[in-house]
Amino acid sequence: MSELLRRQGFSPMAAQAAALRDAFDRSFADPARPDMALQEDFLAIRIDREAFVLRLSEIAGLHADKKVAWVPGGVPALLGIAAFRGAILPVFSLALLLGHAAKPSPRWLAIAATAPVALAFDAFEHHLRVSAETIHRREASTKDRPFVRDFMSAQQQGRPILHLPSILDALGMPRRAGGRERSDTDVQKLDGR
Amino acid sequence: MFKNWTVGRRLVAGFGVAGLTLVLIAFVSYRSITGLIENDGWVEHSNQVRLQLATLLSELKDAESGQRGYLLTGIDIYLEPYDGALRGIKGTLAEAVKLTADNPSQQRRLAALSPVIDSKLAELKETIGLRRTQGVDAALKTVLTNVGKITMDQIRALIAEADQEEVDLLKRRAEEARTSSDTARAIILWGGLLGTILVAAIGWLITASLSRQIGTAVGDVQSSSAELQASAHQQATGAKEQSTAMTEISTTITELLATSRQIAESARRVAQNAEQTAGSARAGHGTVDLTHESIAGIRRQVDQIVAHMLELGKKSQEIGSVLDIVSELAEQTNILAINATIEAAGAGESGNRFAVVADEIRKLADRVGGSAKEIRMLIDDVRSAVNTTVMATEAGSKAVDAGSRQFGEVAASFKQIAGLVSTTTEAAREIELSTKQQSTAVEQVNVAISSVAQASTEMETSAGQTSQTASQLADLSRDLLRIIQPHMMV
Repeated sequence: MSELLRRQGFSPMAAQAAALRDAFDRSFADPARPDMALQEDFLAIRIDREAFVLRLSEIAGLHADKKVAWVPGGVPALLGIAAFRGAILPVFSLALLLGHAAKPSPRWLAIAATAPVALAFDAFEHHLRVSAETIHRREASTKDRPFVRDFMSAQQQGRPILHLPSILDALGMPRRAGGRERSDTDVQKLDGR
Repeated sequence: MFKNWTVGRRLVAGFGVAGLTLVLIAFVSYRSITGLIENDGWVEHSNQVRLQLATLLSELKDAESGQRGYLLTGIDIYLEPYDGALRGIKGTLAEAVKLTADNPSQQRRLAALSPVIDSKLAELKETIGLRRTQGVDAALKTVLTNVGKITMDQIRALIAEADQEEVDLLKRRAEEARTSSDTARAIILWGGLLGTILVAAIGWLITASLSRQIGTAVGDVQSSSAELQASAHQQATGAKEQSTAMTEISTTITELLATSRQIAESARRVAQNAEQTAGSARAGHGTVDLTHESIAGIRRQVDQIVAHMLELGKKSQEIGSVLDIVSELAEQTNILAINATIEAAGAGESGNRFAVVADEIRKLADRVGGSAKEIRMLIDDVRSAVNTTVMATEAGSKAVDAGSRQFGEVAASFKQIAGLVSTTTEAAREIELSTKQQSTAVEQVNVAISSVAQASTEMETSAGQTSQTASQLADLSRDLLRIIQPHMMV
């Protein structure tokens, strides 16, 4: 489409804007795709130059540039507390939890879906929606990577998938009921089993 | 002092002394002879006075003799001596008075004689008259009174006194004449002798001194003539060498003249070329000025380009700022879409359609973010290109500045070249003129050198003649030395 517009005399940027507008409008005109249930959403993040992904189903929100107030005491990974829609949540550093060097103030915060806690990391890259075939599952994590179980291969590279319940368990945070954490049934459904 | 006198001065002095002696002797002799002549005149004068006195006395005697004859005879013929005496007495007495005018005593004496003579003549006249009128007796009576005799005796006495005085004068003048002649004789004799001795002594002194000094001078002349002969020989040799050198110089100057003419021709060509070069330099200067103006225009255009490019960079930066906002909005939209997706997932089946919308918004935000990144890259490329262009333009501007300066230097150089070429033209003209003048001067020098060569030849001949003359002078000096000092000749 953009190539056609470009041939019609539009500038590249105008052609790209027109293509974006057209794709946005067409998405509402297209019928719902039946394979949506066989796909899973991830957030591609980067911690101390190491790429990871977070399951979108395990977090309740993504925020950036939130002010974190330092509080004394607690575990070393505790950066402080922050306010999210009227709730005060503790903020932990994923880098410290994963054994990396601590950065002064990570920009991005992800709120866990099953516990009142926010996890800070360095960079949010983009959103990923991948099919179940690209996810390699394992039953347990290894010793050198205690918070990683599954791997995802997408866009010609593999990314470890952080296992948020293990992190919450390590923090000793009580998990509340009613979360959107994917159940084993959902997993089996995704795997086609 | 005498040694320092010249020959002429010595001769003048010697002959002067001799001449002075002779003049003194001549003066004294002249004075003596003049005195003798004058004395002789006075002697003659005294003799004339005595003659007049004797004549006066004789005439008185004649008058008395005539009176006596007439008184005796009464015949008039006896009165002839009387009449003749009467006619001469007055004149003779007047002549005597005149001759003794310089002698007061004689004047007094003659003055006293005159009335006595008048008395005597009156007595003679009275007696003669008485004889004629009254006869012999009357006349004798008067004669016998002795008046006539007394008067005649007085006359004789006065004339005798006067004559005696004249005799005395003659004696005295004779004595003076003898004294004067003796003096003159002595002066002539002793003066002549003294003058002869003096002249002989002066001649001996002059001869001795002159022979000594002339001998020394002749010796000097001999040595000088020998030196002159040697010098003439050297001069002849030098003149011959000089003549040869002058010939070589003349040849060289002829070559120099040809070279000067070539230089003048070359200078003329240089001046012509310099004039053409000056014209080209002026044309080049005009072209450079036009180019300089063009470069100034380019400089202004480049400055405008730099200003526009800087403005473009500024606008790009502003676009980048806007793009930051767009990127931030896209990121926030992405976050909102992700959160909406999370919320839609939590809403169950009813949230599926909302999830679709959120998903599309997230995709749109992703694509907007991607586009913003692309735009950011494009903007960065634009800014980089702008920076590169600005740098290149500034470099171009600097190059234009350098070119402008260089063109300015070139213009100045052209101007300087034009000035230098003009100076060169003037210099070449001056060189041409100077070389022509030099050629003329060299021609004159050549002529002068030819004259000098001719003079050298003549000098050589003259030196030969000088040598010959010096030889003759040496011979003459030997002859002269032989004449004045024969004992010194070897």
